[in-house]
Amino acid sequence: MTAVLQAEKLSKWYGNILGISDINLEIGSGITGLLGPNGAGKSTFLKIAAGQLKPKIGSLTIFGEEIFGNHRLFRRIGFCPEHDSAYMEMSGWEFIMLLSRLHGFARNRAEEISEKALVTVGLLESKDREIKGYSFGMRQRLRLASSILHEPEMLMLDEPLRGVDPLWRIKIMQLIKDYGKQGRTVIISSHILPEIETMTSEIVLIHQGKIFAKGDIHRIRGLIDSHPHQVSIRCREPRQLAQKLIDSDFVLSIDFGMDGHSLTVRTNQRDLFFTALIRLIAETGLKIDEITSPDDNLQAVFDYLIGK
Amino acid sequence: MNMKKQNAMRIIFASFFKSGFKAKRTRAFILLSLIPVVLMLIMRIMETAGSLAANASADFFAKVMLILYFQLLIPVLALFFGSTIVNDELDNKTLVYLTTVPVRRRSILLGKYLAAFLQAALLVGCGFLLSFLAASLTRLDEAAAWEELAVFLGTSLLALFCYSALFTAAGAFMKKSILIGLFFVFGWESVVQYFPGVTQKFTIIHWVKSLLPVPPGEGGFLIFQLQPSPALESVAMLLGAGLLFLFLAVFIFQRKEYILSDNA
Repeated sequence: MTAVLQAEKLSKWYGNILGISDINLEIGSGITGLLGPNGAGKSTFLKIAAGQLKPKIGSLTIFGEEIFGNHRLFRRIGFCPEHDSAYMEMSGWEFIMLLSRLHGFARNRAEEISEKALVTVGLLESKDREIKGYSFGMRQRLRLASSILHEPEMLMLDEPLRGVDPLWRIKIMQLIKDYGKQGRTVIISSHILPEIETMTSEIVLIHQGKIFAKGDIHRIRGLIDSHPHQVSIRCREPRQLAQKLIDSDFVLSIDFGMDGHSLTVRTNQRDLFFTALIRLIAETGLKIDEITSPDDNLQAVFDYLIGK
Repeated sequence: MNMKKQNAMRIIFASFFKSGFKAKRTRAFILLSLIPVVLMLIMRIMETAGSLAANASADFFAKVMLILYFQLLIPVLALFFGSTIVNDELDNKTLVYLTTVPVRRRSILLGKYLAAFLQAALLVGCGFLLSFLAASLTRLDEAAAWEELAVFLGTSLLALFCYSALFTAAGAFMKKSILIGLFFVFGWESVVQYFPGVTQKFTIIHWVKSLLPVPPGEGGFLIFQLQPSPALESVAMLLGAGLLFLFLAVFIFQRKEYILSDNA
């Protein structure tokens, strides 16, 4: 693998708050998912990679060059920030045209690429509206358009699917996959595992500012799947439901809630458990108010992996 | 594609000059800059109607309007337009868009500075012109009146250039520069000009006042412990200080790391 991005002993902190610590990483072409819970250090890493922050210790190079203060590199890089920010007084068209022109395109060519970028994210019809009139999801798509308009060799996307409606989520994921297939380098951060899983199998797990694991997502998935899951169910007849579930091989234990209307099931086969639960609900007509899985978030997975 | 830095500066200037007028703050400042005009028109109408003595408008212009413009409106406009050049980008977290394009940071800052300066200059210039016309209605056929206007407008622009460059540098250096700026305008600039000796030369207002065509004594606010500095020296000082502050602003903006997050 030829490394497009190289980080060596990279550390960054804000006062007493640790951003990232001692990160050594090489990322080549294709899509790499940067996965970690909120506050793990994903955004700090991407901001250093996008030349917005200076490393306190260590170095980060892209295409072999230091990035901070190296404006020329941005001909080859696109960055989509996490913040919901834009020049609210500008229209979508004015915003994208400004960035196209600043990328060095002549007016006619800038108009062409701006239009293409807005078509890609489905905002061409809304291009003349002021950005302050856009929904959160529209502004997110506009930010994505601003990062892809010059068709960069390397694309860095910080939580690009946040707030985007399901239809556009699928389209954007496809767009990112297409970028990866073209041999470009894409780094995408998220705290939602299935989101990343749809786009790539190559992931970097970040936790508490450090790289916790790097490699194929299926191996990580295997670790996650083998760890017992907890499922909480709120219903009117928890004892009746427990009676039906307790004989199943995949149920390890059942605890009743103090409120008398809930139970927590521990299972070692999450998918089988949910299939059985749905069948049971359909057959018996038991009324279920809520099903939650306290385990089913990245923080729990990380806690489990760290414990392991 | 090889973007010349003047092109990038021109594009940034054009874009922010246009969008700046849509900002609520600019609209508020347009109203603020019209207050002296309205005051002047009221004076003129009252003088014409005979409610005030002859030349009351001209006196009012010399005694009140000059204070209003040179000690209040120009520094305050420069403070808000200058310090927000970088601070707005930080508060709105938009700086990232300008710093992830292949454009030098100095072109970004200078393009935005020019847009802000021109906006402020238009507000001050138009208001000042209208006020002056209202005050000098009876002597518009005199060449001296137009010469006076030219000097006033030129001095306004120089003052605006110098103050806004200073506040741009302050805004590039620190996030809450407006408070420091207010202290500078209403503290340092207002007080030190009355200090004896050469201390008053460490204010911008000293050099601005030295250029005004109203002789000390005629204009009530022009109280000098020291004689006004020569005009040429004053122009050179205002231009030189303005350029120095701009250079400082660029120097800071190119090197400083701006943290656009709650971690800051």
